[in-house]
Amino acid sequence: MSLPSDYRNEISALDREVKKQQPDDILQFCATFFQRRLESQRAEFRLSQRHANTPGMPASNFPGSNPFGNTAAAAGMASVAEEEEHDITSPTSASGPFSPTANNANPARNMDNNSSGGGGAFGNFGNFGFGAPASSRGQDPPASVSAGAMDHPQSFPSNYNMNRRTSVSAESLAPASADDANWKAPYYAKTPDQVARLRTAVSHNFLFSHLDDEQSAQVLGALQERKVPAKDVRVIEQGDAGDYFYVVEQGTFDIYVSSTGKAEAGPAGLGNKVATNGPGTSFGELALMYNAPRAATVVSTEPSVLWQLDRVTFRRIVMDSAFQRRRMYESFLEEVPLLKDLTSYERSKIADALETSKYPAGSTIITEGDVGDKFYMLESGEADAYKRGVDQPVKHYKKGDYFGELALLEDQPRAASVMSTSEVKVATLGKDGFQRLLGPVENIMRRDDPRKLEDSVDPLR
Amino acid sequence: MSSSSADRASYAAREEEKAKLAEWDPEKNTLEPSEVAADPGKKPVGHSSKYLRKEDFDCIKTLGTGTFARVWLAKIANASSGTGVAAKKNNNGDTASGAGNNAANRVFALKILRKVDVIRLKQVEHVRNERNVLAAVAGHPFITTMIASFQDNDTLYMLLDYCPGGEVFSYLRRARRFNEQTSQFYAAEIVLILEFLHEKEGVAYRDLKPENILIDAEGHLKLVDFGFAKKIEDRETYTLCGTPEYLAPEVIRNTGHGMAVDWWAFGILIYEFLVGQPPFWDQNPMKIYEQIVEGKVRYPSAMSNDARDIIGGLCTVDVTKRLGNVKGGAATVKEHPWFRNIDWDAVYHRKMQGPIVPHLRSADDTRNFDDYDAEPVHRDPYTKELYSKYDHMFADF
Repeated sequence: MSLPSDYRNEISALDREVKKQQPDDILQFCATFFQRRLESQRAEFRLSQRHANTPGMPASNFPGSNPFGNTAAAAGMASVAEEEEHDITSPTSASGPFSPTANNANPARNMDNNSSGGGGAFGNFGNFGFGAPASSRGQDPPASVSAGAMDHPQSFPSNYNMNRRTSVSAESLAPASADDANWKAPYYAKTPDQVARLRTAVSHNFLFSHLDDEQSAQVLGALQERKVPAKDVRVIEQGDAGDYFYVVEQGTFDIYVSSTGKAEAGPAGLGNKVATNGPGTSFGELALMYNAPRAATVVSTEPSVLWQLDRVTFRRIVMDSAFQRRRMYESFLEEVPLLKDLTSYERSKIADALETSKYPAGSTIITEGDVGDKFYMLESGEADAYKRGVDQPVKHYKKGDYFGELALLEDQPRAASVMSTSEVKVATLGKDGFQRLLGPVENIMRRDDPRKLEDSVDPLR
Repeated sequence: MSSSSADRASYAAREEEKAKLAEWDPEKNTLEPSEVAADPGKKPVGHSSKYLRKEDFDCIKTLGTGTFARVWLAKIANASSGTGVAAKKNNNGDTASGAGNNAANRVFALKILRKVDVIRLKQVEHVRNERNVLAAVAGHPFITTMIASFQDNDTLYMLLDYCPGGEVFSYLRRARRFNEQTSQFYAAEIVLILEFLHEKEGVAYRDLKPENILIDAEGHLKLVDFGFAKKIEDRETYTLCGTPEYLAPEVIRNTGHGMAVDWWAFGILIYEFLVGQPPFWDQNPMKIYEQIVEGKVRYPSAMSNDARDIIGGLCTVDVTKRLGNVKGGAATVKEHPWFRNIDWDAVYHRKMQGPIVPHLRSADDTRNFDDYDAEPVHRDPYTKELYSKYDHMFADF
């Protein structure tokens, strides 16, 4: 008669452990091993029981199969469970414009885990982020309220989606390379009034508020007019792929959300009307990040005018300018003898620590005698260096020049003052930032000393 | 004549590969770090096979699905006939040492990707990265081992080791949250994975989350799904990818990102282990992103100071201040007080007992995996046009 397979599995697991640990006291080792297995199995069993009883919302701290685990520690975390419902509101508060019921699963997530069953359709609201003036905020269902006042301390602290989360990705974007260096953002002429309105319309949107002036001008220029000739035109349809972001210039649009996750046929197929958007509002902003199914249907109520912007153009504008700025920073850094031993990976890392600031003409950028902690590189404009007691500038700086690099090395007083002779833009590198990322500059300089080779900080080499 | 002798040679090579698979044993093939880093062509695992075919495997059950991939529990087809009486006697699923090592009992995870879907979803580059990174890291104790990859006319295959414990995600949702010691144990193994990927391989993983971390037969972790993993050369990269709740601020802002995104996600992961949900969440993904770029993490009042401190250090918007990305790299994370009870050497050598050790009836037990719907019947055809335009991109798969 052959041995039961469960038994054989246990024995072979024990074999592995014995081989690995090579215990001296075999009997004790085996006894401990089986004791642990028993604990672990019981814990897992209890866990799966709970799981079966309350799918999706088992309330417990972690099972005791944990070898370091002890009840005191477990109880500690249990108290976290009770307090946090009152303590945390921010991560759980649903502020989406139409926050629906709890535990919804968006359709994409259901694709990922069909066994989850409970496939509500409300998920992806964000594909439909709203512009500021949208009045729908005040109509929020009180999801955030319920998060703060849970009726049962052990229920999940919010309507957090318990299902598997689907990965997202946008089109592969490679920065302007040799074959594609001529890419230019499209430009559509607009009146100053139109530009001002657009600027206001997107100002609340964090995707735009992080842009610098040049990026912002490019993005606004790339918005393209789209005329909607009549009422009842569906500009976007729930469930469709999302490629464009829209700003309303003229007219109003009704927003519908269907509980099935997509616009259905038939008179009520669009679902409930959840909002009406007028001029100055925007919608579809998630499409600027990646392609996710639209979370609502938007229908014109009259002949209207929209501005539209597609994802690839938007991301390309932001990426190209970031890419170029980084390459400029790196080429600055390459020129500095003090930093000549940095690897290109390190230069790329240091580029993260550079900050841009602007000075009007005639500003004093650094003052002789002050203790400096920053190094400056001139991105644009010109400046002069002066020393006390000398009437004429001792040095002239133009684009691509740098000054104050000794500040990276030691806390020495500045040897000269530098004043801008035109409006200037400088990139600054603080000693702090440099040291946080790569350690003291002195160590970098000592690298050509063979005794110091083990100090190399480049993880790639 | 010559073609038939070529057939014979290829038949022999194919049989030889199958025989090797039958002998492959994840226990024995965990490679030393130096061996992992060796030239992929010289490793016993991770090669691109010219001989293996779909027909060499029986697909038993779906273990997981993605937008364009499906992973199956697979066994070597018709294996017992080749291994004779010993195999038949031993057909009850023993994977362990000794006589149990036979082809019929070998189980694998076979990841199947249709070329047409890969192309339609613009994931060609990601799939190539995935294969190449998995080949490069094959043999690492805490990363899924790609034993081999192969392809046929319209499909790509990756043969991976099977992790019978299922996803950490499932245990976490069932338990709702992990206690501090359990979280520390799993976090410690993840730190070693990130240290290896970043500092030995120069690879950013870019999709850290409980769904992508499996538990192996002994209770240790295996990181799976390298679809977004990328070797970062000297420069930052720009393609947005990851999972909404785990995206780093620099990814959202599209200012260029690197390996530091994994440290951000690691902070989110620790938070989710301890709290049961990630720190930034909203029904509306755009609101999640708004919270992320702002970067204000709120902690439950009972969370320990050390836990807050490590999460706060990792989830720092300014990458020049982010724990793990600052000078010292992974070592600064390992030295954090939250990990003060971790013996890193013991973790690395799998000497710590994992908090969850799956109980398995047999090597092919799938009770820790959920059920998935059957594969859709409709498939887009891989047309001649697509083939001539794209197939060269899969040449070295």
